[in-house]
Amino acid sequence: MRNLAILAFLLLGLASAPAGAATASWHSLTPAQQEALAPLSQQWDNLPEQQQHRLLKTAKRYPNLAPEQKSRFRDRLETWSKLTPEQRDAAREKYRAFRKVPAEHREQVKRMVRQSQEEKVRQSASGVPAAPPSLQP
Amino acid sequence: MNINTNSPNENSRHIAPERIAQLLTRAAQQLDDDTVTALRRARNVALEKQSLSSPVFALSAAHNIRWLMPHSAHQWMVAIILFVAILFGGVSYWQHENDMSHLDAAILTDDLPLEVFVD
Repeated sequence: MRNLAILAFLLLGLASAPAGAATASWHSLTPAQQEALAPLSQQWDNLPEQQQHRLLKTAKRYPNLAPEQKSRFRDRLETWSKLTPEQRDAAREKYRAFRKVPAEHREQVKRMVRQSQEEKVRQSASGVPAAPPSLQP
Repeated sequence: MNINTNSPNENSRHIAPERIAQLLTRAAQQLDDDTVTALRRARNVALEKQSLSSPVFALSAAHNIRWLMPHSAHQWMVAIILFVAILFGGVSYWQHENDMSHLDAAILTDDLPLEVFVD
């Protein structure tokens, strides 16, 4: 049985190798990774290992994004990285649930959000506080 | 019938290592030339074979690998189950990580603002 235990130990070691990656310093990142994660250059070295690992995986998709999506990605990255793991998990759950909503309802929600944002911009320009958005039936 | 009636002490005296060595030395001195030549030839052949064998490290590594291999059907079954479980775990982990990064990228690039999904 001892040989089986050693075999299992070796296989477990192999299986857990990717998860056990060490913290990567900002200077050790490739130019492509640095470009995708540029908004985090200052705080990168202080981010937890697991968060770095996840961000690097997400950044792999950056080169294939449209220019508009790249811009959104960079704009949101800092806010995203400052969220707690629980907040990020909750956001993922919400996004998953939102994707299950029928397409026409999704479009309706998007229209409402756009209207609300435009209203906020107008009101902040005129100095009047924004009213809470009303849901359409 | 010749029955050995020697006492245990007498037996141990007869098979004492020193006595056996003495007997062998005496016997070796009395060997005829043909036997000595045959023995020398056999020794040389054995030495030549030994020098052609694999290095000690390779022998030791091969021994270790053999030792790691399951020896019975039961052990093979346990090893296969273990291997499949670890493989399944690895694939699940990889798939989970892939899904998460896909989801994160989608949230970060969606045309809906981040605030919609964050409390």
